[in-house]
Formats: sequence, structure tokens, C-alpha cells
Amino acid sequence: MKFVVALASIALAAGLAGCNSGSTPEAKETTTPAAGGKLTGALEVQAFQGGYGIDFYQASAKQFEKQHPDLKITVEGGPRVWESLTPRFANGNPPDLTFPGWGMKHWDLAEEDQLVDLGPALDGKAAEGEGTWRDTFDPQILALGQLKGVQYTLPYYVMIYGWWYDPEVFKKNGWTVPKTYSELLTLSDKIKKKGMAPITFQGKYPYYMIDGMLLPWAQSIGGIDAVNAAQNLEEGAWNSPAMLQATERIVELKQKGFFQEGATSMSHTEAQQEFVQGKAAMVPCGSWLFSEMKKTMPATAKMEYFLPPFIDGGKGDPTAVLIGIEPWMVPTEAKNKEAAIELFKYMTSLSVAKKFVQEKGTLMAIKGSDDGELPDVLKVPSKTLRESKAVYSVQFRHWYPTLSTELENGLTSLLNGQISAKEFCDRAEAAADKVRKDPNITKHKV
Amino acid sequence: MRNTKGRNAFIFAFLSPAVLIYAVFLVWPLLQSFQMSMYRWRGVSRNRKFIGAENFNNLFQDPVFWKSLQNTGTLLVVAGIATIALGVLLAHLTDGDGAVRKFARAIYLFPQVISLVAVALIWQFQLNPKYGLVTDMLFRLGLPVRDPGIVRDPRYAFSAIAVAFVWHALGFFVLLFSAGLKQISGEIKEASALDGSEGWHRFRHVTWPLLWSVKRTAITYLLIHILTVFALVFVMTEGGPDRGTETIVSYLYEQIAKNGQYGYASALAVVVFGVSMVASLAVLAYFRKDPTAGARA
Repeated sequence: MKFVVALASIALAAGLAGCNSGSTPEAKETTTPAAGGKLTGALEVQAFQGGYGIDFYQASAKQFEKQHPDLKITVEGGPRVWESLTPRFANGNPPDLTFPGWGMKHWDLAEEDQLVDLGPALDGKAAEGEGTWRDTFDPQILALGQLKGVQYTLPYYVMIYGWWYDPEVFKKNGWTVPKTYSELLTLSDKIKKKGMAPITFQGKYPYYMIDGMLLPWAQSIGGIDAVNAAQNLEEGAWNSPAMLQATERIVELKQKGFFQEGATSMSHTEAQQEFVQGKAAMVPCGSWLFSEMKKTMPATAKMEYFLPPFIDGGKGDPTAVLIGIEPWMVPTEAKNKEAAIELFKYMTSLSVAKKFVQEKGTLMAIKGSDDGELPDVLKVPSKTLRESKAVYSVQFRHWYPTLSTELENGLTSLLNGQISAKEFCDRAEAAADKVRKDPNITKHKV
Repeated sequence: MRNTKGRNAFIFAFLSPAVLIYAVFLVWPLLQSFQMSMYRWRGVSRNRKFIGAENFNNLFQDPVFWKSLQNTGTLLVVAGIATIALGVLLAHLTDGDGAVRKFARAIYLFPQVISLVAVALIWQFQLNPKYGLVTDMLFRLGLPVRDPGIVRDPRYAFSAIAVAFVWHALGFFVLLFSAGLKQISGEIKEASALDGSEGWHRFRHVTWPLLWSVKRTAITYLLIHILTVFALVFVMTEGGPDRGTETIVSYLYEQIAKNGQYGYASALAVVVFGVSMVASLAVLAYFRKDPTAGARA
């Protein structure tokens, strides 16, 4: 019996609690041209309740219901909603529209024909203005939801990865934001001498460091091609000179004592709390940082975004930005697909998207949604994204989870001094090779 | 004859709800796990492919599986011995009916009644490199525990899991051995005292052998507890650093939650089931015949 209890506990395993921001959204009335005419019946939406909550989606649904009185929409969710959604997909009883969150293996859903091809809907008329719905999205971001040219998922908000600092602390100490790695070393030395930890990181979840240091520095050295070659499992890409040199930078920062003591053990919130309390000067994180930490931030703390310092002399693009999305989708077995698509079209209309940007403090995949006055914390990420000549995204984590796990384990051993930079890269390459040679794993291309 | 029939119906009526629940929530999922272990299944649709013993072949060639099995076995030996030794010791120290002793037994039982997830969170806080009380104490004793921090340090992480497990489980075993001690007849204690057997000698030659049936229960419980340990590992270390605390069940969870390999995870579950059954049966077989059965009160 204990064994069964243990297995049951797997399903009920402790989750990361999302922090709902509890806003009072109201969406502007828009004319939503339902392609097929009248929308009726029940429409179930299941959404991941993370840092941005689900209140905005609920309010949007209410607005949409007003335009379609014969439609009854329910929007529910949870911080680990994918755990309840997975068996529903398996049993052929999924919701009509879903944002299942980071834990859902949505590429598995796509490969198993569980998701509707949204391409034809994108070619239909947009909810507002002229042109197609497709025209309203940033095409580079839209491409992140495609598999072999088929649009299985759609983006909503966009996460920008980078580093953060407190401008007040920097100003008070006469520090300037490091644009290059050599500037980072000089600055970190000064910060350390002040008795402050230069950099903290979310060591319990090493993918933060992979996204915040390893891949941006590999991009600095070898260009986006170096990162994408690795994601595409090209032979030798994970232990390429670019990856090795990027890894050596992490080792150098560790050996110089520029990482906060104990950071390897810290969860995301623990490390970020150290940052907002001024115990560490910089932290790598995505653009959700403010939303995640605002409840526990001291009133005097500020945070500002900057791109990971560029490796001096690298052949990469100093303006390139690492972005990410958490996709929405319509299941093949949804009972009210048409209404689901129309609701999401309404949610991604420019006026609603602008509202989301304002209320939730994140950027969106919708063109023009960051026009106008932005929340302070978004001004620099928005400017950085607009000025970037290229964007790239981490996709291998969802494609090849075993490779991702091996990278994370190797990174912990690297930080603990158990393996060298070369051994780390060789381990990564060996894990990539294992995936490459496994005929049962579908291979993807960036 | 009529009476027998009526009696049987009466027994059946009372047994059937329990049997039904047992069948639906234990036997049926167990059978399904056996079936699923022979399929490749991502768990997101009805599509699954029969692959026979391939999951088991892959499992037995998987170094992480062997590492997790080894870790589970080490935990069983280290935490198992510590739990039984401390359980017996504390049962002796708190043996008797005094209020202080009863209170002490209740205190020891306290960690047992709280959820294992809560236990893991408590220890996570205690071992935090910045504000953890235990980390601070160990640091003051001169141990380098602040970087990378106990739960991410390959030197300490496994011990941290073992200590947290013992802390959680100890109360139950104190209670178990206390009950065992009470079963030993006063006459035996008196007779051994008259024969000059006291202290360690009496424990070794009289008390310990007479705890035969309690030892059987204790070891069986420990086996099942430790072979299925999950929440402690998941919350405190997530199997890290670098698989250093990975157990069979935490690896099973990874196969489902991270990799979406439901068939492979089921094969792991079948192995856990097999190991648990064999080990439990071995313990029961070893302890089957109690040579001291007639000696207790």
C-alpha cells in the first residue's frame, strides 16, 4: 500500500506556487468577427497559473461572452495545470483552449496529432484592423510554435532573457553596467571589494545559468549559428570552441569568487530575493523577474534589465536577444474549436494585448503591443528587443529533455569543481550523441 | 447450514467494500503498470506501441538506473541501521510510565505525523546556506558547508537526505520498540537480573533476541519506506547534485514529469515492486520462525 501511496505522491508532488498578481482587468470592447458567424455552446479554457495569474484571461472571457451571449466560457487553471491536462488529452477529453504551462510536453502533443493546425485560422481576418490574424504576430516569435511548417501552437506573452541590476545601487557606488565580459570582470572585482556578492544565480535550477550565461556567451563567441547548431544536434556542436570558451567563462567567474556564496543551492526565489535585498549586485533572469518578486521586494529596491555582457572580440551579435514563449493551443478533440480560436483571436487583438502588457508588465508577441507608455520595468527590455538585429530561443529543452537534464547535472558538477570545462562540454556532446542516435526520438531543427 | 450461509454473507458484506477499494485502487493500477511497462507511450494520447521487454532491456543498460538503485540501497543500509539503533536506544531511555517519558515519546513521534513534504521543507530551510540553523552550527564547527551549500554538495547531500529520513521515521520506531519492550515479561527481567545480567550484557543476550517479531515489523516497514522514498529527495535535492541522491522513485518521476516516458517509468515501477516484494518476502522468511515465541508475556 505504501508503494501506491508513494506513486500517488508523485502525481501530487510539491509544486511551485504561482503568485497571482490579482489585477482588475477590463478589456476594450472590440468587434470580434467570428469567421463562421454565431458562437454558441460551452467553451472550456484551462490555463497555467504562474506569475501572471489567470485573472486577465477570465476577464477577457467575460468580455468575449458579452459579444457572444450564447457562449458560456469557463476559465480555470492552476500552477501545475499540465498534470491534470495530460490524462485528459490521453483520454480524449481535453479542454477547448489551453495554455498548459511549461511542464506540458507540447511537442509530444503535436507529434501525436493532438493539436489543431492553426495556420488556416491565422490566414483569416484579424480581430481588429485590416490584414490577417497572422500579420498581427511577430513572425520570428510565431515561428516558435511551428513544427515542420505547421502552426501547432501560438504565442501570447514573450519572455526576454538577460541580466538584472539595481540602478540605484549602481549609481550610488559609481558602477556602470558591464557591456562586455572584461567590463564584467573589472566591475565584479570592485563589487566584491565593497563586500557585496557581484553575481547570484538560481543554482537549484541550473537552466537559469544555461540561459543566462552559457548560451548567450556561446552566441557571443560563435554567433547564433553556434547555439542553433547545438540545438540541431550537429556533431561536435556541444563541445565546439564557442561552447568550451563560454563554459570557461563560468569557471573563471567561479574561481575568482564572483558568484555569491551558496548560490549553487538556491532556488530561483531564494537567489532572486538575495538580489532584491541588495546582497548580490546582478542576477541572470527572464523578464518575469519583477512580477515574481514584487511581493517580497523592499520598497526601495529597483531593478533594471541588461543584456548578458558580450564576450570581447566574439563574432556573434552583441544585440541578439534570447527570447522564450509559453504557448497556447487548441486540442484536436476540443468540442468547440471555432469558439476557442475566436476567443484567442480576441485575446491577441492589439487593444487586449496592450492591456495585458500594461497590467502584467510583460511583452507580448503582438506587433505594436509595446507602443505607448510602458511600465518602468519593461522600458529597457522593450528597447533592447526593438534594437536587436536577431533573436534566438532555447528549444532543445522541450525537444530533448534528457540532454537538458544532463547539461544541468554537468553544470552543477562544473560549479562544484568536480569536472573541467572540457569535461562538461564532452558530457554535453555525449548526451547529444545519445539523442542523435536514438531512432525513437523525433529530431527537430531550429 | 443456514447459519453458516448467513455468517458467510455477513462476512462478505463487511469485507466487500474494502476488497473493492483494494482492487480498484491497488490491484488494477498495479496490473496496468505491468501492462504499460511493455509499451512505448508518451502519455498524451491513446497511441502506444507494444515493444515487449525493450523498456527493461534499456533499463538494465541505463547507468542512472543502477546509480539510483545503489543510492537507494545505501540509504536503506545507512538510514535503516541508524533508525533501528536510535529507535531501540530511545525506546530504552523512554521506557516506563512516567510523565516525562510519555512526553518524550510524543515528542519523538511528532515528525512522523507531519507530511513528508513538510519534513523536506523544514530540512531545506535548516540546511539553507544563508540562514539555515543546521548549516550555521556545522559552519561554526569548522565544516565548509556554506558553499555550494549542503544539499548541492556531493560530500554532504546524501547524508542530509539520510538524516532527514531518520528524523522523520524515528518516532514510529521508538513507539514500535517501546511496545516490544513492554512485551518482555517482568519475570524474565527479574531472572536475568538475579543471574547478574545487566546493562549491555542483558540487552545483547536477553532483550535484543526477545524483540524478534518487532524487528521483523521494523525491517519490513523500513524496506518499504526507503525503497519508495520520494518527497524528501524531490523537495530537498531533486536527485542532485549530479544524481548524487537520485533514488529509484525520484528517477521514475523524472521519466514521467520531464521525459514523458510512461512505459519506461512503468518498467521502473515494476522493478521497484519486484525489489520490494523480494526483499520483504526475504525478511519475512528469515524472521518467520520466532525462536523466542514462548518467552514473552
